Amino acid sequence: MNHPDHPELAEAFNKDFERTTWHDETLWFVRQKRDKAVYPIPEFQDLRTLASEIKDHTLSNLDNYLIEFEQNAIKNGVKVHWAADAVEHNQIVMEIIKNSCKVEGRNPRLVKSKSMLTEECHLNDFLEKNNIDVVDTDLGERIVQFRNEPPSHIVLPAIHLKKEDVGETFYEHLGTAKGEKDPQILTEAARQHLRGKFVAADVALTGVNFAIAETGSFVVCTNEGNADLGVNLAKVHIACMGIEKIIPDLHHLSVYTRLLARSATGQPVTTYTSHFTKPVEGKEMHIVIVDNGRTQQLGRADFRASLKCIRCGACMNTCPVYRRSGGHSYDFTVPGPIGAILSPNIDLHKHKSLPFASTLCGSCSDVCPVKIDIHVQLYKWRQIVGKANELPAAKKWGMKGMAKVLSMPKVYDLSGKLARGALRILPHGLTHNQSMNPWAKARELPDAPKQSFKEWYEENRQ
Amino acid sequence: MTSREKILASIASNKPSLVTMPNVPIFEGDGSVERFKNVLESIGGTTVELASKAECQEAIDKYYHDLKNVASEIVKANVAVTLDTTKDILEQVDLAVIQGEIGVSENGTIWVPESNMLNRALPFITQHLVLVLDKNNIVANMQQAYDKLEDIGNYGVFIAGPSKTADIEQSLVIGAHGARSMMVLIY
Repeated sequence: MNHPDHPELAEAFNKDFERTTWHDETLWFVRQKRDKAVYPIPEFQDLRTLASEIKDHTLSNLDNYLIEFEQNAIKNGVKVHWAADAVEHNQIVMEIIKNSCKVEGRNPRLVKSKSMLTEECHLNDFLEKNNIDVVDTDLGERIVQFRNEPPSHIVLPAIHLKKEDVGETFYEHLGTAKGEKDPQILTEAARQHLRGKFVAADVALTGVNFAIAETGSFVVCTNEGNADLGVNLAKVHIACMGIEKIIPDLHHLSVYTRLLARSATGQPVTTYTSHFTKPVEGKEMHIVIVDNGRTQQLGRADFRASLKCIRCGACMNTCPVYRRSGGHSYDFTVPGPIGAILSPNIDLHKHKSLPFASTLCGSCSDVCPVKIDIHVQLYKWRQIVGKANELPAAKKWGMKGMAKVLSMPKVYDLSGKLARGALRILPHGLTHNQSMNPWAKARELPDAPKQSFKEWYEENRQ
Repeated sequence: MTSREKILASIASNKPSLVTMPNVPIFEGDGSVERFKNVLESIGGTTVELASKAECQEAIDKYYHDLKNVASEIVKANVAVTLDTTKDILEQVDLAVIQGEIGVSENGTIWVPESNMLNRALPFITQHLVLVLDKNNIVANMQQAYDKLEDIGNYGVFIAGPSKTADIEQSLVIGAHGARSMMVLIY
């Protein structure tokens, strides 16, 4: 099956020049906020190193920490479920909902706070098909849910939209005034609308930012308070986590709570950092632990470090390609540089263009709070894409041709000479023909020099 | 083979050889009341210093005299909130005044354990939130906070300022789903 690749989707995004520029500048602003939040912490680099080492250690003992976590959670009265893949995850969530709320004459009602894992598993579609009402309660998630779109960023789900777009969506779904675009008024409308949903919900679902093996607790971080409001009003709490969310104990947690919000949005900490250990008497708490390709990634020595990700989104905010191509151009739950190293593990053929959606500038690795070598992994995935014969024909034959030329000095000299001559003589329309020379789509070639560096050096060496 | 067994077996065969666990030091830092106040105010909270905890009532009368439904164990309350309080009553709460346990000056956050909340939903469903904090319980950073926190209990939350969102064009809006304002009374 053929999927539109990243260059095609990015080209579509770039058709609206003003919006692309706005998107670029807005995310760069978030990156700058990150810098301002990070520099005043004298031990920030030490914290990054610790965060990286704690995750390295945890991944190397992951099975035992998961068992310890499970045992402690069970002692706390929490029900623990295991899902090998997305299908099983969705089935488990549905069964918990159907078993725990026997409602007559209406659908069970679920409120969700942000969970990229449930996006990855396409949970909402599945539950709706099975007659469960699903409401995303994070404001950005609610906006994209109304619009029937996936989030375009893992922390800022609606960052691809302008306030006019949100105004139009709320006019349609919430009855706000036509043309209303004031974020304050729109947010208030969502607050009123969602308060009703929180109070009416039977079940609340959250993601998990960190799971603590030693106590069997899990930690959820939000700014809006939607996770706590949802779970503390509903009878049943379901928390869904990937196996890589485990950390050993609370001292380790203290490292991540200093890094997460500063890296993500430039805040000193999220407004709410909630620690769930035991359910209230008479209520239920469930944890669903999900693999869905993660153990396979753990087995890939070159790529296992991608499992250290704490989903802060810093690599997206800093990435020149993400900023100018938008989250939807990646066509994967997690976009940006981190998504480009996670996605080929899931489906190499479908996501073969993503490791190339990078300049390899390394800025992603520089801002990563857990020091994942993202740009190195992007480079390594490219080799695998090439070996799997998944490169587009033009790139494949172009590379092969180039390799030949570069391995034969005489041919190289001659083709340089021909190219310099041709560039001087041929009309601009031909040298910059976009189908023959895609490099020139948004670029001007420099004037061709009279001689090559090699020739110049031969003449001028002392 | 259950999924649990499958996942654990797959991890066992795919994980790298054991990497040593690093030691997390208790980092030093400025744990002053001044810094705590500055940081909390920079993220939308307000702070008031009191000479003693006994002055809480006076402060609430002064700053929140226009709010009708108050839930608290610290100041005069007219809504009795317990574990069993129903949603329709919780929804009516205008102001909750709750004891905070540990303040963190680096990020303006305050630890609130379930035992202080009256009801788990109260700090979130209330329209406005006031936390009361002993200034001797302010520490510099999260390492010091977790070190001081012996037990996280059944449920507990670090709360830093009012509920907020920037999901519409990155414009900061205070009062997303939780408290529209948050004040800390420091004594």
